[in-house]
Amino acid sequence: MDIIRVRDLSVGYDGRPVLGHLDFGIPRGRITVIAGESGSGKSTLLKTLIGLLPPITGDVLLGGQPVDYRSEDDLRRLYARIGVLYQTSALLNSLSLYENLALPLRMHRRGQSSGEESGRVAEMLGRVGLQGSEAKFPFELSGGMRKRAAVARAMVLDPEIVFCDEPSAGLDPLTASGIDALLKGLCQKLGMTFVVVTHELRSIERIADRILLIRDGEIRFAGGLPDLAKTSDPYVRSFFLRTANP
Amino acid sequence: MRENLGKFFTLLADELYHTGRYLRKREGVMPGAVIQQMFALGYRSFPIVALITFLVGVTIALTSAAQLRLFGADVYLADLIGLAMIKELVPLMTGIMMAGKIGASITAEIATMKVMDEIDALRTMGIVPEKFLMVPRLIAITLCVPLLVAVADVVGLAGGVLVGRLSLGIPPSVFLKEVFRVLDLGDFLVGLLKTMVFGWAVVVASGYKGFFISRGAEEVGTATTDSVVLSIALIIGLDCVFAFLPI
Repeated sequence: MDIIRVRDLSVGYDGRPVLGHLDFGIPRGRITVIAGESGSGKSTLLKTLIGLLPPITGDVLLGGQPVDYRSEDDLRRLYARIGVLYQTSALLNSLSLYENLALPLRMHRRGQSSGEESGRVAEMLGRVGLQGSEAKFPFELSGGMRKRAAVARAMVLDPEIVFCDEPSAGLDPLTASGIDALLKGLCQKLGMTFVVVTHELRSIERIADRILLIRDGEIRFAGGLPDLAKTSDPYVRSFFLRTANP
Repeated sequence: MRENLGKFFTLLADELYHTGRYLRKREGVMPGAVIQQMFALGYRSFPIVALITFLVGVTIALTSAAQLRLFGADVYLADLIGLAMIKELVPLMTGIMMAGKIGASITAEIATMKVMDEIDALRTMGIVPEKFLMVPRLIAITLCVPLLVAVADVVGLAGGVLVGRLSLGIPPSVFLKEVFRVLDLGDFLVGLLKTMVFGWAVVVASGYKGFFISRGAEEVGTATTDSVVLSIALIIGLDCVFAFLPI
């Protein structure tokens, strides 16, 4: 069952498509990786999926309902159902970790008591291994800790889908594998849907339930890791065989 | 040019809408943000605004005193300083100080947030950045400007009083009596209104320069400089418009 369905979608900037006529689905409760070389348009696609860039043509259906990008109400409903982990972590530097996580709660759950709020923040920080770090500011954290905190913030409102843009970018291999393990663990434990944009082959190997490989403005491969061995597309084989062993 | 004007006026309209909506519903802004911004934008601007207006008061008084003495019109120094400071120089200098101190910091902060994806993060959390970041600043500047103007009026006149006493031997009581003879409450309100409009112009212009930078970190510095230039140009343009109004 797909939680997101994309129909004949073209995305790009100023009316010029970067990706055209895409059709694919994002299965519920799994990790879907959108892969491709740098500049292939995967981050542009992500921007459209998270409501920041209206499509040029086509539809994005969330839970079977098309998202109207011109409607503030539709976008508000979309944002209420998703969480986003940005490549830069995008934690608000002027706020402590507690305030960063409490911000979405204060804006969306206005009747919540301060006890409930602090309990939820502590719970989320605990889930990502940052318990007791509430008073720290983002600039006091390492890159890996910032990513973990950003994961906690993305999940604090219990979204149905968490989008991750290059979650292991800029991290050392050990920290990157820790982030991958965290995402995989959260997906399995909570049954959340994850959409991860990355070109890190090791990450793809570790976390992907389903892969969409983008090249030249179109999807060149859609399937699971085992399906890679069956493909005859030379580009797909060369992309994954560089370091991975499908 | 037309596109930039469109973006500027769209942001201006957005801010008016968001501020009105916030005042009615009290949502979409972090609790305590207005107080925080009053401290950052208002309280921290007091020393520099006071210093600059005092120095301007002294300079204008010194320059004028020499000329007035030639015609034996010493006491009119008070009229000149009173009218010039309260109606023109206090609003102008306070506006320019706000452009340099407040405008630059708003642009630098918002532009950095944009480069670091924090603006996008706010949006995908269902928070409207143009409201979340700008409304507290607009309300804070509205609340702080009367206090800034009051301080600037007092120290600006004090500069004139000092020069009057030391240079022309005019007693402070005579100086102030003459000032309040030529000025009425309306003049003080005109100065306040002008400074308020300049403050709003600075906040909106700085927000515009911050929100509409492209992605590069190197552009943050350029955007900050541009915002100060734009704010000062707007202040002088608006001051010129005020000069044509029958107030």
